[in-house]
Amino acid sequence: MVDIQFIGLLNATLQAATLLFIAALGELITEKSGILNLGVEGMISIGAVSGFIAAINTGSLFFAIIIGVLSASVFASIHAFVTVVLKQDQTVSGLILTILGLSLSSLIGKKYVGKKLDVKLESIVNIAEPDSILDIFLSQNIIFYLGILLMVATAYVLKRTMFGRRLEAIGEDLKSSDSMGLKIAKTQFIATCVGGAFAGLSGVYLTLSYVPYWTDGMTAGRGWIALALVIFGGWKPYRTAFGALLFGFLEALGPRLQTYGFEMSPYIVKITPYIITILVLILLTIFKNGDTGAPRNIGIPFFRENR
Amino acid sequence: MNNYILSKKLFRNELSTFYSFLIGFIIALFVGSLILLIQDKNPIDVFSLMLKLSVGSINSLSNSLNKAIPLILAGLGISIINSVRLWNIGAEGQIFMGALALNFFYINTSIQNSALYIFLLLTASFIGGSICILIPALTKVLFGVNEIITTLLTNYIVFGLTIYLINGVWKDPASLNFPAAAYVSELVYLPIIVGKLSSGFLICIIFTLLAFYIKDKSVFGYEMRIAGGSELTAIYAGISAKQKAFLAMLIGGGFAGLAGGIELLSQTHRVSTGISQGFGYTAIIVAAITGMRPLGIFLVGCLFGALTIGGSVIQTIGVSSYIAEIIQATTLFGALVAQFFFSYEIKKKVENG
Repeated sequence: MVDIQFIGLLNATLQAATLLFIAALGELITEKSGILNLGVEGMISIGAVSGFIAAINTGSLFFAIIIGVLSASVFASIHAFVTVVLKQDQTVSGLILTILGLSLSSLIGKKYVGKKLDVKLESIVNIAEPDSILDIFLSQNIIFYLGILLMVATAYVLKRTMFGRRLEAIGEDLKSSDSMGLKIAKTQFIATCVGGAFAGLSGVYLTLSYVPYWTDGMTAGRGWIALALVIFGGWKPYRTAFGALLFGFLEALGPRLQTYGFEMSPYIVKITPYIITILVLILLTIFKNGDTGAPRNIGIPFFRENR
Repeated sequence: MNNYILSKKLFRNELSTFYSFLIGFIIALFVGSLILLIQDKNPIDVFSLMLKLSVGSINSLSNSLNKAIPLILAGLGISIINSVRLWNIGAEGQIFMGALALNFFYINTSIQNSALYIFLLLTASFIGGSICILIPALTKVLFGVNEIITTLLTNYIVFGLTIYLINGVWKDPASLNFPAAAYVSELVYLPIIVGKLSSGFLICIIFTLLAFYIKDKSVFGYEMRIAGGSELTAIYAGISAKQKAFLAMLIGGGFAGLAGGIELLSQTHRVSTGISQGFGYTAIIVAAITGMRPLGIFLVGCLFGALTIGGSVIQTIGVSSYIAEIIQATTLFGALVAQFFFSYEIKKKVENG
């Protein structure tokens, strides 16, 4: 028997962590290839709204997940096209992707604000009253397990497969990769779209399970926290997952502080995740003395000089 | 495909940024039309209505220019910070912080009916913007903490702080459903020039020239460019890159803070969540699309101000105001595509021999 409040806290932690982690993992893959995509917030939003609309109109959750993931991935391909094919500034393109994603999803989702879902992502194992830590882990929905699977798969692909090694090589050294004959543009394009797909999955989790409804600006800066998480995790999947759990815990803890005897304005509680993210980022950078383990070629467009 | 190679043009057309913007804008109007067509609206009707209601009369034109003020000031701030190759994504928060600082100064001093007092109030808003970027600036120059993420996250913090204040200590009991601070006295309103045009627009013109001078004509601007360009060159030239970066960030944050101060004294007349409606984010587009040039920011700021007004008035005929935002963002994407063709050329491969 475990304390009921603790059960609630743990459950909320896992859910908040899942949302942040999947988006962060996608960005990690993109950044490993040397492409910085600051559009995570916009991509999550696109995935969230399109998944929600698909769920309302078709009633099929499976279909909703597919639509959310695909549309965010297609949306990310704008960034891939502008930065990989046209070699334009990655910071500018990513920022605009966020702005465009937020306004586009507000436009598409306008008719769906306030609508209720008939279906919701249910936990795979149905446990009426979870009262142990194991029960909490078992009572998550499919995207949670998918997140774990993606974590293991990403770590494996990056470290143990040719594709992953090539991806990492491109992110570290463009010129050498080029002379080795690696297909830089193709790899970076794929990595960016995969990053978008992951962000889309995180968005679907937001509207089909975490909240679950659609309203403007509901991503609430989570895309940016995901970006900070990649830095926190030192571009390593498992460490990023640990970071996501930590941030998820802090996000879950905020609204519960009162039950533990802390009096705090709810408005202040709302901004604590952002303050903590900044503090963690500062401490981390000081601790690592500026060398965060970022891919060396991040943000630099590849251009083969005339020969 | 392999018969063609990409080559960087040695010289770029001096007006390439301007042409790219025009091409981008046309592409964006095209995309906007498509979205309107999908929604069964006639694009020509919608756009001509937007045009009429944003620049068609003195009043609507002055509304548009009033909207341009925060876009231009925040955009200028972003461009100054970009001189040292840093990004300020926190203009939205700085705008709010400017208004908060102004209100703080206002309620803690005795109101005077003088231009000097208004000047002091606006100075407070400038300082507020600088304070808002202080932590990102300090941690950037001292430890190298990524300023993009820290400035962005401060937006959420300052917005939360605003909501906290207008629901708490600053709450005006008269504002029931829409929490806000008390109105400021009419004595400190910025005077109207003509129609509805606020004299904040004059301040905006002065600061555009000031930013142009700082960036392109002053020694400080030259040093900023060197500091942002290469660390080694900066060391050879005896320039402290960190000091320049720090100053640039404080000044740039101050510009956005001033925008919030002007918005309070000329539009909302009180602290509320309506101080900024995403101006800080639109300002990023404005700054980036002009290649960070102050005079360009002024012109594009005016255009985007009109677009924003046009976007808000077409809601009356059932068209979403997000159309304006989408057009603004797509303009930049279109401009980036055009920029490619100004910077690179695709040549047929010449066989050796």
